[in-house]
Amino acid sequence: MDEEYGGFLSETIVSNGRNNSRLMEGILKQQQELLGMDSSKYSVEFMKNGTDKQEHQVLSCQSVVKVLSPDDGRLSIVQAAQQLCRAVELKEKTSKDINVTVLDSLLRESKNIPDPDLVLKFGPVESTLGFLPWHIRLTEIISMPSHVDVSYDDLFGALQRYAMCDQRLGK
Amino acid sequence: MLRGFALVAAVAFLCRHFLSEEEDVILQPGKSTVMSWIRERELSFIERLTANILKAGPMPKHVAFIMDGNRRFAQKAHVQRQEGHSQGFEKLAETLRLCLNLGIHEVTVYAFSIENFKRSKEEVDGLMELARQKFSRLLTEHENLERHGVCIRVLGDLTLLPIDLQQLIAKAVVATKAHNKCFLNVCFAYTSRHEIANAVKEMAWGVEQGLIKPSDVSEVLLGECLYSSNSPNPDLLIRTSGEVRLSDFLLWQTSYSCLVFQSVLWPEYSFWNLCEAVLQYQLSYRSLQKAGDLHREGQALQQMEADRCCVAELLQHRGNGKPMDAQSRQKELLNYTASREERVHCFLNALQHKRDTVFSDLSSQAVVA
Repeated sequence: MDEEYGGFLSETIVSNGRNNSRLMEGILKQQQELLGMDSSKYSVEFMKNGTDKQEHQVLSCQSVVKVLSPDDGRLSIVQAAQQLCRAVELKEKTSKDINVTVLDSLLRESKNIPDPDLVLKFGPVESTLGFLPWHIRLTEIISMPSHVDVSYDDLFGALQRYAMCDQRLGK
Repeated sequence: MLRGFALVAAVAFLCRHFLSEEEDVILQPGKSTVMSWIRERELSFIERLTANILKAGPMPKHVAFIMDGNRRFAQKAHVQRQEGHSQGFEKLAETLRLCLNLGIHEVTVYAFSIENFKRSKEEVDGLMELARQKFSRLLTEHENLERHGVCIRVLGDLTLLPIDLQQLIAKAVVATKAHNKCFLNVCFAYTSRHEIANAVKEMAWGVEQGLIKPSDVSEVLLGECLYSSNSPNPDLLIRTSGEVRLSDFLLWQTSYSCLVFQSVLWPEYSFWNLCEAVLQYQLSYRSLQKAGDLHREGQALQQMEADRCCVAELLQHRGNGKPMDAQSRQKELLNYTASREERVHCFLNALQHKRDTVFSDLSSQAVVA
């Protein structure tokens, strides 16, 4: 089943950076416990507003887990903006060169996070709370009551809802 | 004792309900106050009761709408698509009135996305024509708009629109610029990514002009370069027709907003749907306030840290080898922060002036029949 739904799962924590390492530890531990010998097939990457130091080979059947922090949202866009402004200051670029495509490729350069197709939002707060604003322009947002004791049925139900979405892309 | 308290609360509530003045615009008797963009709509008794109950809790000041479902409504009602869009506009006018009745004085709507240009020429032309009609009509109601203090803003890349429509829009925006009782922001030829990229472009322009430095670029500054810079972020974003995505609308501004997805089709939107959304906002209010406060604290810390780094760099360049004492360092930091704020202030004024000039130029070109 994992192979079919191989792709990116990302989680974000709202409060502070300290929780990221604990979540990371938790994920690695769970990986060992649940997957045992297979755990090496699934790479877990700790982002925390860093850059991709190594390109993980993503095979079509491999699941990649990226753990994000609030800094991966607006702050990444700000950093890309600073980079472009520095280039303009050095006369390597002009302001007229800046458009959606340029900004988009710059954002992908430092951190290759593809646009999520689906966001599963856990908890009662009806907000994205700063999650990847640039990337979620067309993302379906499905709310689940809690991340505690999520059953396979809950997850599958969400995926079925996703499958029924009809994206007209403006047309 | 509890019964006594309940009785007092009930009496207080009823007094408030019957004696409360509507917070919205006061209609002067005897004068025509008809506005095509804000429908006349009295609240029924039960609607007023509900409104007052809601107003006992926190109310959003700025609500954004993705008015989705016009075409599906047309199909359902067996009418032309164009009629669906027309009814959609009528519903906008009614919803604006309902918002004012609830004390919501700023509304932002997603009227036309840059992606919508992909639709058939017939539909796009139809929508442009609808916009022409509505903006032209708006301009004839100038007196009422002034009386009610309605400020219309249009956000988007207007250069993508036919020139005559650009001129009409500019005239409407310039005519209502000074009004400040309620605000309607219409996103037309808009996507959020374009808006963000444009904000970055403007900051780069600021660097080119020598008004700001790359190190002045911050989350706060980017926010002030968006088309929506004259508005606070929306408290509540509502999308109708059952879709659960943002479709490139206000992605930056709604990061900490309450998102409500409702299945009702836009032309069928009712007062009760609006109340349901506001209730959802009230339920998420505490968490969102906390998250927003935390985020703002983080922004302030980041700015301070950035200023410290810049000062450290400056001192290094200027350095004569002698280490600085903490008091002088603090003084340098305060000076640097003050000069950065001054720079940014001048830049934002220049940007506002640049934008105002575009609108006033277009407006003076316009010939209204």
